[in-house]
Amino acid sequence: MMQVRTRRLVQALGGPLAAIVLTLALGFVLVAAITDQPIEAYRELLFANFDSLGNFALFLNRATPLTLIALGVIFSFRAGIFNVGGEGQLYAGAISATVVGVYLSGLTPFLLLPLSILAGVIAGGILGWIPGVLKVRLAVDEVVTTLMLNIITLLATSYLANGVIRDRSSYGAVSRMVPQSIWLPSIPWVPQATSGFIVAVLLAVATWVVLFRTEWGAELRAAGTNLRFAQAVGVPAARRIIASMWIAGGLAGLAGALYVLGIGHRFEQNFSPAYGLVGLTCALLARIHPIGALATALFYAMMLNGAAYMQIETDVPRSLVNLLTGLLVLFMTARLRAAPREA
Amino acid sequence: MADPEILLKLEGIAKNFGEKQALARVDLEIRRGEVHVICGENGAGKSTLMNILAGIHAPDAGTITLDGRIVAIPDPVAASRLGIGMVHQHFALVPSMTVAENLFLGRQLLRFGIFCDRGAMIARTRELIEQYNFRLDPEAAVRTLSVGQRQRVEILKALAFDASILILDEPTAVLTPPEVDELIEVIDGLRRRGRTILFITHKLREVKAVSDRVTIIRQGRSIATHRTSDVSEADMARDMVGRDVFLAGRKRGVARHFGEPVLRLSGVVMNNAAGKRLLDDICFEVLAGEVLGIAGVDGNGQTELSEAIAGLMPIQAGTISLDGRDVTAVGVGDRQQAGLGFIPEDRLDRGLSTVMSVAENVAATNYRRSGLLKGGFVSQERLQRFAGARIAEFDVRGAKPETPAGWLSGGNMQKLVIAREMERDPRLLLVCQPTRGLDIGAAEFVHSRILAAADRGRAVLLVSSELSEIFALSDRIGVMYSGRLMRILDRAEASEENVGQLMNGGGQEAA
Repeated sequence: MMQVRTRRLVQALGGPLAAIVLTLALGFVLVAAITDQPIEAYRELLFANFDSLGNFALFLNRATPLTLIALGVIFSFRAGIFNVGGEGQLYAGAISATVVGVYLSGLTPFLLLPLSILAGVIAGGILGWIPGVLKVRLAVDEVVTTLMLNIITLLATSYLANGVIRDRSSYGAVSRMVPQSIWLPSIPWVPQATSGFIVAVLLAVATWVVLFRTEWGAELRAAGTNLRFAQAVGVPAARRIIASMWIAGGLAGLAGALYVLGIGHRFEQNFSPAYGLVGLTCALLARIHPIGALATALFYAMMLNGAAYMQIETDVPRSLVNLLTGLLVLFMTARLRAAPREA
Repeated sequence: MADPEILLKLEGIAKNFGEKQALARVDLEIRRGEVHVICGENGAGKSTLMNILAGIHAPDAGTITLDGRIVAIPDPVAASRLGIGMVHQHFALVPSMTVAENLFLGRQLLRFGIFCDRGAMIARTRELIEQYNFRLDPEAAVRTLSVGQRQRVEILKALAFDASILILDEPTAVLTPPEVDELIEVIDGLRRRGRTILFITHKLREVKAVSDRVTIIRQGRSIATHRTSDVSEADMARDMVGRDVFLAGRKRGVARHFGEPVLRLSGVVMNNAAGKRLLDDICFEVLAGEVLGIAGVDGNGQTELSEAIAGLMPIQAGTISLDGRDVTAVGVGDRQQAGLGFIPEDRLDRGLSTVMSVAENVAATNYRRSGLLKGGFVSQERLQRFAGARIAEFDVRGAKPETPAGWLSGGNMQKLVIAREMERDPRLLLVCQPTRGLDIGAAEFVHSRILAAADRGRAVLLVSSELSEIFALSDRIGVMYSGRLMRILDRAEASEENVGQLMNGGGQEAA
């Protein structure tokens, strides 16, 4: 039993690890071709994140929204819904948390903090719920609806940040700051690192438990893998699908709320460097497994931040990282199928 | 030294997939110009053997001798060069292209070395069709053809490139009975023209109809080769299963006693979105301890009937009651609570999730009833134990609790579905096409389970298009035609003739 488990673990990790090694090796050839300090560049890319506590904190901050969005994507994908609305749900969560934090700032922090987070979760959840209901009731394609909602949300929040809730005393399209009393504390021993990261780790474990260790999760996966089977064994599949989209949106919304409360402390127009898309990629690279998604989110965060250090220290442009992540996706998806199929 | 009569000889072929032994030792001799059937149960290794011949898998041991020479077949191209043509169960045709285009796909005849020579290809196709008397139009698009016709295109594809041995992998699995007869004619024609044919099947009737010789394979070993005319179906069945087979059935003439009605349908009507009547005023009862068989040609409303009873399709009028409780407006889960066990007609469609594990499939309706939850979470230990017990009880071969259900063979998947639904010992067992695609051993097992359920006082509604199955198991037989339940006959008054007549919509006046 234990041996089987270990072997499966090796099998599950072997592919991704090989893909990462291959990507980094190929990337090194590229870097060597464009700079005369390739080792230096690679050192910055991979290890600068751990040079100082400050860098390490930034690395964790980057990984937090990626992990949360990836977890949301995993819920929806496991239910068979191709939810690409992470970006919109993230913005909805961020702006709702901000509005509650700024406009109800008179409340006691003990009430305001949960209220602000809740607002973010609910806003993201609603944005997930809409495509879920449309999918189940009217068979509207969820890729279209989630993508459209991304654009609507991005533009709507831009409008709000540019006018309605704009902080006129500061430069740029940003809201006023939420009161310092509800800023999330940083992780002990790692100043500047948001404790949102701890929340993300806990939720990754919780997601795994819910999906793989509860009857509800089994029903959700049944609906996702074979809807007609799920119906035949009495699973209320429509309800499970809608619930999965609620959760998916809620987690992305939470990512937005935690970003505001823990990192940005205000809503900034276009604050996300495509976290929605990168989070989706993290989930897919982890083969929609929550613990794996935590790992891929950390890897992406390392690459994204490392690229910046690399650009500062050497003459290698940070866009190299786009190339590397592209290669990684290629190697992960083009992996050879080892098991022969037998009729 | 080599016997010139022997075209193909396999000696000691073995093949493992990981830890799983697919072929242990197969020896086989194919004579020039014969139709040779490879017969065995699902999972015996027939397909693996053929895939080795077709160059899809490489054997781990053994030799292949073709025309007196030892050959290696590293890939399908090599197989085709050696004159081995394979027709797979699932066709590899482009639906939008014509018969001729499909025939020459990838090896088109060219004019001036660049343009494809449509005229020549069509002419060559027509020649081939006439030569083998296949009755096909070379310019018809493949998507307009029936399954049987498509299969003939596949056979032509192999013949067009001078296959000296033609391998047909379970060719009848996809065909309707009249198409099977046509295929048997086609094979006869090929034999007369001196082609050598390897025919894979697990259906004994076909072996008798089509072959000169038959080799039985069991658990990866070749058991025996017989001249077909010298061997009976019962002998072949014994070779395949490895013991005497008793096809289960009710003894005739023994009075049986039934209890209260468990399922009652009255005036059930179902229309589709376009207003077409799918079920028309269906009324019947199934009593405790009774097997009611529903016969009929596929597509006469049996699927709709079973989905209506299971709660998967809404009905427009009438009532369905289970154990005296009206469940007309109640969902699937509640019907299961009320005592319904449902074995759907297509295990891949509604029966299983192929990517989920065996354990999760067999537990799907049983988490609560079988106590698999502990403090709100699924107890892995209990789930493993539960699944292991069901696997053992229902003899699901090749299954471990954690293997994906899709890795099992069809018969074993069916056992999994039955294991899940029987676990609750439901008051009403709704069983649809329970042995479709199953081999003898598995079918025997399934039938004995169904009869055992009835003997325990459960009501069984058996929907099947296999008449022999209906006759073997049922206490009463209902016949569906065009959405109507024509009549319900007692087993004693039912015969192949009167049921067959009802299945075609006739014989009402004979009532």
